[in-house]
Amino acid sequence: MAETAIKEALVAEIGHADHDTNTGISNTKLAMWLFLASECLLFGGLITTYLLYKIPISTEQGPAPKQVYDIPFTSVSSFVLLMSSLTMVLAVSAIERGDHHRMRAWLAGTALLGSTFVAGQIYEFTAFKGEGMGFTTSRSSSAFYTLTGFHGVHVTVGIIMLVSLLLLSLRGKVPQHRAETVETVGLYWHFVDVVWIVIFAVVYLIP
Amino acid sequence: MSTETAEPVSTDVLDGAVEEYPRDRQYVLVALFLGALTMIEIATYAQPKFAAWGWGDKAGLITVLMILMAVKFWTVAYFFMHLKFDKAILTRVFYAGLLLAVGVYVAILTMFNLWYPGHH
Repeated sequence: MAETAIKEALVAEIGHADHDTNTGISNTKLAMWLFLASECLLFGGLITTYLLYKIPISTEQGPAPKQVYDIPFTSVSSFVLLMSSLTMVLAVSAIERGDHHRMRAWLAGTALLGSTFVAGQIYEFTAFKGEGMGFTTSRSSSAFYTLTGFHGVHVTVGIIMLVSLLLLSLRGKVPQHRAETVETVGLYWHFVDVVWIVIFAVVYLIP
Repeated sequence: MSTETAEPVSTDVLDGAVEEYPRDRQYVLVALFLGALTMIEIATYAQPKFAAWGWGDKAGLITVLMILMAVKFWTVAYFFMHLKFDKAILTRVFYAGLLLAVGVYVAILTMFNLWYPGHH
């Protein structure tokens, strides 16, 4: 579908074409990238706080996060989230080719992998709490739960967006000329993945 | 309307792209590459004394993990987020935010003497 055809389809659907910008990029896509750039500052702040507070003041404050980590379990979770980026990009690719059936399958797969990651995080938090590291146990545990919890909330929001897209698609509201909507959600999802790449290395693996 | 996944996606249907988006096969190859890097990361935990990263107390381990993390981050942004194929302004917007964040927080960590032993 050529660019003019996309505009014609939009005029037929909503009465006007999306506004062009002088960057040649749609407002939606540019806005998402600006939002993601600002998110770097949010997660940067949370990671920095964790690094500053990762060692408890004394052993009386309960175990340090490093003492309760289950690295093999978290490695599997990380791999699951990484592979969800593949299914997400395949969903984007499918809708750009007008293949709605494949797009729905890949979106459902991405949501499922994301849910698996969140379920793993809930299990991990429960296990840590059982080992004596609660949210208010020490400043290091607070910093750890705040960082990974914020990330988990981002994944959950991503899953809600994916499921919404899937439902809209089933109702025929994500036509091929709206492929950029899927791509924009995909950008958010990939960002959540790259943030976890940093958290997995800096928080879990680096000694 | 094509459903052929073996063909690249033309820039005609993409907003702000300067190169056609790749075939699905390339995305799968990128994912395999990312999976392999993750395996190496996990190996640093399983075999911390391995010669490739066991040097210099923990310096080797930290260096290798930071490099792997940076390569994985860049690969996802470059291929999956399409920075390779989209207009350069998007790369500039994103990396401006990222570099600002890294600069600000490295300054804070330095202010709190995080890089020196015994700071806690």
